[in-house]
Amino acid sequence: MTGTTETNTANVNVPLRYTDPDHQDAHQFLVEEAATLDRQDFAGWLRLLAEDIRYVMPVRVTTARGAGFDSLADMGHFDEDMYALRKRVERFGTQHAWTEDPPSRTRRLVTNVRTFRTGHGELRVESYLLLFRSRGDTRDHDLLSAGRADILRPAPDGHRLARREITVDESVLRTQNLALFL
Amino acid sequence: MLDVAAVVADVRRGMIPAHVYNDPEIFALERDRLFSRAWVFLAHESEIPEPGDYVVRRVLADSFIVARDEDGTVRAMFNMCLHRGMQVCRAEMGNASHFRCPYHAWTYRNDGRLVGLPFHVDAYGGEDGFAKEGQSLLPAPALDVHQGLIFISLDPDAPPLRDHLGDFAFYLDLYARQSPAGLELRGPQRWRIKANWKIGAENFAGDSYHTPHTHASVVDIGLFREPKANKRKEGALYTAGPGAGTTYKLPPGDLTTRLRHVGYPDEMITRMRGAWTRAQRGLVENDGFMISAATLFPNLSLVHNWPKIDDSGTVVPFISLRQWQPVSANETEVLSWFAVDAAAPEPFKRDSYKAYVMCFGSSGMFEQDDVENWVSITDVAAGTMARRLNLNSRMGLTSAGKPLKPPLAGFSGPGTAYQGFGEFNQRHWLSMWGDHLLRPPPVHTSADMGAAR
Repeated sequence: MTGTTETNTANVNVPLRYTDPDHQDAHQFLVEEAATLDRQDFAGWLRLLAEDIRYVMPVRVTTARGAGFDSLADMGHFDEDMYALRKRVERFGTQHAWTEDPPSRTRRLVTNVRTFRTGHGELRVESYLLLFRSRGDTRDHDLLSAGRADILRPAPDGHRLARREITVDESVLRTQNLALFL
Repeated sequence: MLDVAAVVADVRRGMIPAHVYNDPEIFALERDRLFSRAWVFLAHESEIPEPGDYVVRRVLADSFIVARDEDGTVRAMFNMCLHRGMQVCRAEMGNASHFRCPYHAWTYRNDGRLVGLPFHVDAYGGEDGFAKEGQSLLPAPALDVHQGLIFISLDPDAPPLRDHLGDFAFYLDLYARQSPAGLELRGPQRWRIKANWKIGAENFAGDSYHTPHTHASVVDIGLFREPKANKRKEGALYTAGPGAGTTYKLPPGDLTTRLRHVGYPDEMITRMRGAWTRAQRGLVENDGFMISAATLFPNLSLVHNWPKIDDSGTVVPFISLRQWQPVSANETEVLSWFAVDAAAPEPFKRDSYKAYVMCFGSSGMFEQDDVENWVSITDVAAGTMARRLNLNSRMGLTSAGKPLKPPLAGFSGPGTAYQGFGEFNQRHWLSMWGDHLLRPPPVHTSADMGAAR
């Protein structure tokens, strides 16, 4: 029953100014990524990822203040490498992925972007995500609210996402499945 | 007005009135007659290994603190202060020596005993006004443990858990006791689906028929070890005591080669050989069947599967436990745990966890398609026309109600097994469901807390 340290504390370091080209590149990367996912161009999304990507979404838990953790260190909703992400995308490409046929209508609102330079030429980028998901014609919509901490690695033609940790804000998700990417 | 006897009579014919999958009247009966009596899974001992460790779990609307006290005893205590009814613990998990009510600071030890009552003398005149001595949070009326799995019943007259499990323990232990160390659980992932709780329970109990179609996509992409989903029809379906489950037919081999086929390393196979009885080994070794999905009535399901976890085709098995926690007639909270033999080597645990996350749980590629189906069923089961439709659940029976083929002869496990497709298991599950719905609710007494003795 171990957990990671409390995750909803903001990075206290000073982010890059909004006028900094690195910040602008990072922000644009996230907005373009959201557009790619919302138009369900999953192959295009994979091209934004580094081959050694780690894509994780720990399970959040409700704990007493002072417990020292509010997510599970050893259990995620996602805990993916490139193989696993490729398989998920490949599955959506079959004729038999019923859960997204008809597809959800999604809109990813990406805000509160904070960019930090790391020592390795990479950028650490934090953002807020509100994902609106509508399925079918009569069902209530779902919302997923999350923070994301990403590592963007420079590449000759832009950046690649090398790591993403998704801090979801619910301990009990109110969406039928995670047949989508955050 | 609901005619429950008629509903159950239809179910016993293998015809399911479709509205049972979204009917508030049925749900009220399930609450009062089924969940008020049945043994219900709450947690696993590995989730609370140390004194003071606790998790908070529910049986429908009833919240229980499942805690290990300072002596190591596992208890389940109704999470309601004896004074004004506040929940004394509002976290999901943690470690605590005491639970202090935020309202008036009544304080309970982690074994449930009331040890703090502010102004006891000033406010109550001491023991005469409120007899503090010997008071504790209401314990679950019955609690019992099997292979580390903690169950409670709201019926103080519930039979002993082991008696209840009966022949299903044989199969449960194939998942839960791969070595004397038993399972360790991680999680759970929790999410809510707009689906009736019975659909998942029935599906895991015996719906091998859905695999070739619902899960065609995971076969298409080569995720699953078994190359053709229609292999499913070669598996055996078994019913045993309060449980039922599905199996896969394995290629020819002995115990070792068949367990290697699904991805177990030799050191785990050695431990399984020692932990399992001759008959349990025989299920794999002689009969060639490997456990897959199963449900223990009412709402605990298990799954064992063996996908490919990397580009080189490494096959690794995983076990998951999941609970279909009813919220209402049309909503269920799924709690899904990853489970692994505690004695397994660390690299196996790592890989098995990866296999689990890819396949089952909130993002699992198998589970995604299941839930879409179940939500859709529930949605359309609410209406008037659903009350005019009895769904056919007679697969495997002739018109006269006889099995299309005889039970498997010489099957190593207890209970009754059939090879091939059939809805024997779902009917078995629904038959138990009907039994509960026809019984009057258990009689219980109310407890006066702290009244004059």
